[in-house]
Amino acid sequence: MDPLKTYLGRLVLEELTPVVMVLTTPLVEDSCRKNGLGFVDMLLPFSVFKKFDVPVRTVNDQPYRLQMFKLRMVYASDVRQPNYEAAKEHLKQVVHDSGEKALSDLLSDPPQLETVLSNSESDLCPQWIQTFNKELIRTLSFSEHETFDHPVACLLVVSSKDEQPINKFVDIFNTNQLPSLLNDGLMDPKILKHYVLLHDNQDSSPEKATHILAEMRNTFGPNDCKLLCINSATEDVNNKGFSSVPYKTHGFLGEDIARCLNLEDLKSIKDFMQDLNSNHIIPFMEQKIRILNQQVATTRKGFRNQIKNLWWRKGKDDLPEDPSGSTYTFSSIETQIRILGDYAFILQDYELALSNYRLLSTDYKLDKAWKRYAGVQEMSGLCYFMLDQSRKEAEYCMENAFSTYLRVGSSGQRYASRCGLWWAEMLKARAQYREASGVYFRISIEEPSLHAAVMLEQAAGCYLLSKPPLLRKYGFHLILAGNRYYISDQIKHAIRAYRNALFVYSENAWSYINDHVHFNVGRWYGFLGMFDVAINHMLEVLACGHQSLATQSTFLNDFFHFVQRLGKSFDVCKLQLPVINLFSLKIVYEDHRTYASTADVDVTESLWQALEEEMVPVSTVRANWLDSQPKSSSRKDDDFSICVAGEAVKVEVELKNPLQISISVSSISLICELSASSEASTIDRSVSSAEVQEDTNLMKTSFCSDQKGENSSFTLSKIDVELGGGETKRVQLEVTPKVEGVLKLVGLRWTLSDSVVGYQHFETDAKKKHKKGKRSKHSWKSSLNLIVIKGIPKLEGRVDGFPTKTFAGDLRLLMLSLRNHSEYSLKNIRMKVSHPRFLIPANSADIHEDFPQCLEKQRQMENKDASGNAKNLSRSAFFSFPNDVTIRGGETFSWPLWFHSGSSGNISLYMSIYYEMEGGSSDMTYRTLRMNYNLEVLPSLDISFLISPWPSRLQEYFVRMDVVNRTISETFLLHQLSCVGNQLVISALPSCNSICSMQEIFAGQTLSCFFKLKVLMTGEKNEESVQGSDMLLSSAISNDMLLDVSRSPLSDFHYQERYHQGKLVKGYQSLLDFIMISKMVSSNLDSEEGPNQLLLSNHACHCSISRTSPIWWLMDGPRTIYHEFSSSFCEIDLQLTIHNCSNSLVSIRVATFDSMLETTQSSDAVHLSDNSNDQGGWYDVSLTNDIKLISNVQGSRSQKRLSESTPPFVWSALSSTQLAMEPASTAKLPLKIFVFSPGTYNLSNYELHWKIQPQGEGITDEVKNKSSSGLGQGHPFYLTVLQAP
Amino acid sequence: MIVCVAVVGNQNNPVYLQSFTEADDALKLHHIVHCSLDVIDERVNNPKRSGPTLNETFLGLLYPTENYKVYGYLTNTKVKFIMVTTDLDVKDADVRNFFRRFHAAYVDAVSNPFHVPGKKITSKSFAERVSVIVKSFGSTAA
Repeated sequence: MDPLKTYLGRLVLEELTPVVMVLTTPLVEDSCRKNGLGFVDMLLPFSVFKKFDVPVRTVNDQPYRLQMFKLRMVYASDVRQPNYEAAKEHLKQVVHDSGEKALSDLLSDPPQLETVLSNSESDLCPQWIQTFNKELIRTLSFSEHETFDHPVACLLVVSSKDEQPINKFVDIFNTNQLPSLLNDGLMDPKILKHYVLLHDNQDSSPEKATHILAEMRNTFGPNDCKLLCINSATEDVNNKGFSSVPYKTHGFLGEDIARCLNLEDLKSIKDFMQDLNSNHIIPFMEQKIRILNQQVATTRKGFRNQIKNLWWRKGKDDLPEDPSGSTYTFSSIETQIRILGDYAFILQDYELALSNYRLLSTDYKLDKAWKRYAGVQEMSGLCYFMLDQSRKEAEYCMENAFSTYLRVGSSGQRYASRCGLWWAEMLKARAQYREASGVYFRISIEEPSLHAAVMLEQAAGCYLLSKPPLLRKYGFHLILAGNRYYISDQIKHAIRAYRNALFVYSENAWSYINDHVHFNVGRWYGFLGMFDVAINHMLEVLACGHQSLATQSTFLNDFFHFVQRLGKSFDVCKLQLPVINLFSLKIVYEDHRTYASTADVDVTESLWQALEEEMVPVSTVRANWLDSQPKSSSRKDDDFSICVAGEAVKVEVELKNPLQISISVSSISLICELSASSEASTIDRSVSSAEVQEDTNLMKTSFCSDQKGENSSFTLSKIDVELGGGETKRVQLEVTPKVEGVLKLVGLRWTLSDSVVGYQHFETDAKKKHKKGKRSKHSWKSSLNLIVIKGIPKLEGRVDGFPTKTFAGDLRLLMLSLRNHSEYSLKNIRMKVSHPRFLIPANSADIHEDFPQCLEKQRQMENKDASGNAKNLSRSAFFSFPNDVTIRGGETFSWPLWFHSGSSGNISLYMSIYYEMEGGSSDMTYRTLRMNYNLEVLPSLDISFLISPWPSRLQEYFVRMDVVNRTISETFLLHQLSCVGNQLVISALPSCNSICSMQEIFAGQTLSCFFKLKVLMTGEKNEESVQGSDMLLSSAISNDMLLDVSRSPLSDFHYQERYHQGKLVKGYQSLLDFIMISKMVSSNLDSEEGPNQLLLSNHACHCSISRTSPIWWLMDGPRTIYHEFSSSFCEIDLQLTIHNCSNSLVSIRVATFDSMLETTQSSDAVHLSDNSNDQGGWYDVSLTNDIKLISNVQGSRSQKRLSESTPPFVWSALSSTQLAMEPASTAKLPLKIFVFSPGTYNLSNYELHWKIQPQGEGITDEVKNKSSSGLGQGHPFYLTVLQAP
Repeated sequence: MIVCVAVVGNQNNPVYLQSFTEADDALKLHHIVHCSLDVIDERVNNPKRSGPTLNETFLGLLYPTENYKVYGYLTNTKVKFIMVTTDLDVKDADVRNFFRRFHAAYVDAVSNPFHVPGKKITSKSFAERVSVIVKSFGSTAA
């Protein structure tokens, strides 16, 4: 790589150049001023020689050619070290000027990663930074420890107007006005002098000037004098533009620049400079190098000199170093070497320069003249670079110089920076960007904040250029730079730095940093008065839930402050406060389906559809106005939802405040668009185009929709919400379209703290979500577009007095009220209920009757239609209101409903009401009103029945009812027990008049009652009708009437219960149903004060008779007989009635035996134990047993007596009889005994062996379950035979 | 003294960052941690530079800032642990030991079935455990 092609190479060639000191008279300056330039400025464009090509010889007579050369023309007054403060001020001005230029960039968008990476080096290190670097280096020129800034030549300029020009030349080179460098003896005062006479052609003719020139030549020598003529241009316009061109490239801008110069002048200036350079300065330097080299060679080169030098320096060790460095005057050998080196460097003989610098560095090191040492090191580093040798050496030298400068202290600090800049440029030239940025960073540590900022920015740029780019470090250093810019009041630069860093932090949730950057950028824009941009940045940090409370409030306050300062209402798309949870978005609209309350909407649509299946006409399911366009209708139906004009579309959405500070959000409303129905045919097109435009003109659409809102084609609801810290609220917004057309829900708008209007658009986000994946099955994107049609008036409905909490068995009358707000009347009303077990429509007559009196047994039984109704209801729960029922506009229609809570648990009841409009044209043919009620049913009374055959009676049963109060605190009053079925009569046991001692059953109490059940053997079985017998349980309150269970609603509910309980019971035998009606004494249910007394009806269905054998028998015969035993033994006829209760053929064998006592007893015992086993876990001594016991006592007594005697009686005839019995048949079997002596006999010593005959295909489950054969002991039958008197 | 420990997820997202200074320098520490990710990236992507320590989880001294030393550790799932200390004289063995214990604590924390991978660790017990480890590091180093 050619070092000269690098930036550093060019920089070195430009900056390290011979200085020409210029001394002028005021008249010279006056002449130049006509062109708007100083004398130096006038020469400036011509002091650079680009294609120069001058041959030079080294000290060893090696010829080489200089390609590029430059002179630095400096006024003598400027040949001094600039004041530190002034230099700082100057640099600040440089930075500030560039900041002004950068202002336009600040309005554009912040850069993105891709653009930054594609930036070239020059983009990252813009011109002004290079200028800054140059200026920084220039502020350090004319230092005392370096010599390349020492003037090589002196240009003495006198105007031809000056009086006595020759004397003037002498005067201006007066030592008093010369720079301190010369006066202090740091610089050789014997420098090349060049005398120039400036002639202004406007003032006089050149004759006088040539005359003076001749005089000068005589005085100062012929070679060193020159005449320069300027301002020869007349007021010619054409000329003007052209001659100012070279000046413009050097930054001289203005109207009158080079106004009076013509091309001749420029050419003469150029020639003059060329001559000065090649004929005077370069030869002079060449010569000087030779002389100095000679000197150095004699004093320092060679072994002897080195020893001498070493010894001499050792001796100097004791002397303290003069901090001013004045020990080295121009005549000292060290300075001589340095000058030699610098001159060689300037003449681009880097080998020579390097050897001298090396020589010098050891000297200075030994002298501990650190600043000079560092300076020499710095130069040798540059030499190495320019020679493109040994990179390591170069870097070592630079590092050495840098650290040495730093070690010197404050005086070396600036030089360290300069050295660092060389160093960094050197590294950059070799693409060692990371190292370069490290150097920049090191410079920044020592520099004042402004300089540090520029350095850090360059460091950042280097990180970006390194391979691979270190983006995070780039960002970090930009932030550091920005911070320092801010400290040093360069806000524009600070913003620029921060903005450039933004993209680094936008990824990956480094929110602390991101917030910091955005906040500061915003704040600084605010300082600049660019509030709109400021606010845009502030918006990014508003939702900073992770920050501390103080930070949050700072952010918010600043934000609102800027908004206020902006002074106008501010609209923000995607304002982050509050956070709108779009996933929570729910749109509730009503097409032909309407809902009684919003909660009903949550019910799954399929549930409703299943419910309405039979009710809704199939052909009109898609009953909307698009039916007229049959082809497109199906597709459009998928895309659009339908709502009805004049009815509100509700949108629910969640708002969340992520901050800890509470915020007030006001006038939340929807943004909608409603296009009139005439555009209906172009819906598809408009919608798709709207979607495309969405992103581009969000604001526009929202505004136009705003205007539409005022046009009142639809109305919007507005809601104000106060959100506390971290709070989430759900708001419901409404839009009511007033005309038909297409309603498009565009988004949401709200006002934050009365100052900022925020927008959130639904659609754009929805699209993103769809890209991400299938979030939800029913995409609400489609439902954002609603077709508004003219519909049927909406019916509002509710069920009055519907309990939310009740007890199982609760029976009550409710009122369904339907209200029609419109002026049209509705007809053809139908209703369907999901749970007919709980709710059935009553007769319209019931509305007028009191409850529960209406249930009481009527005098006449005319209501036969109820049972007919029940048949329908048991399946479909479908109810058509009478045809004459219409609901006229503004009317409220009521219809009674019977409610009965069948089972306990949580139950959701769904009702759907179908209606059509009477007359009138509409886009709809029907609508449905859907109602949903949730109900909690608590357990109340549990009843169970045990029915066992009456042992001594035919067709009579013994019923035990167990009632348990399952409530916690309620008391129930038992009212009535009804047995359902035609053939059954329930009654109290004959032995006791009152069924149970108490009618009240307290919480947790258990009660058992006993009844007799008799089967009437008459008539056909008619299972469908609810007939039966009732029994009043509450005998004390006898004024209560019996309730009629055979009428609606009790009968209807009973069918439902039967249907439902039937599902639970497995088999079906001869089954019995009971209805238990009770009243609640005191209701602790706080819910409502419905009827004065809670009436409960508990249904126990499918109670089976528990029996062990399929047959049932009874011994019949005389009980007491008088007989004359003296004549003969007594012969008694008995009859055994056997009934086959089972469904199958049974063969029975009756065996009698003249028994042993033991068997009788044991069998008796078995019978007893069997009897108790039948009770199934019932341990109380029951009434049955009591009865039994009595008889047993008698029995055993008689047996005891009998036991001593011979068998007192014998069975006559056969000992066993076989007979087969048809199902449900009765047979009578005659029996006969012979009694030999008077006494009381127990005729129980017989057995019935039964066996069920399998009936071919009719083997039922019960047969399988039950034993197919068994043995029945004879029932006790007591016969008293007395001696006839 | 350890000033800050951080866990950075494999997407270079901050998972856990805890400073142990009283001063309000969270932002600075965020920056330091964020910057050190560059160094980690570089080390991971240029394995030849790390050479024999190819499979080493401990990344060593990442870079010295003005007042801090930053150490790094990379798990097999590309989760980075970063520790910032003010101690200028730290033994590598101590740091290794620290990271080993920290790694164990991290593994336990993310094994929590309620932790969502890649999200910030909010477990209190993890924070306590980390502070114990941090404190013990200070004591052994002192």
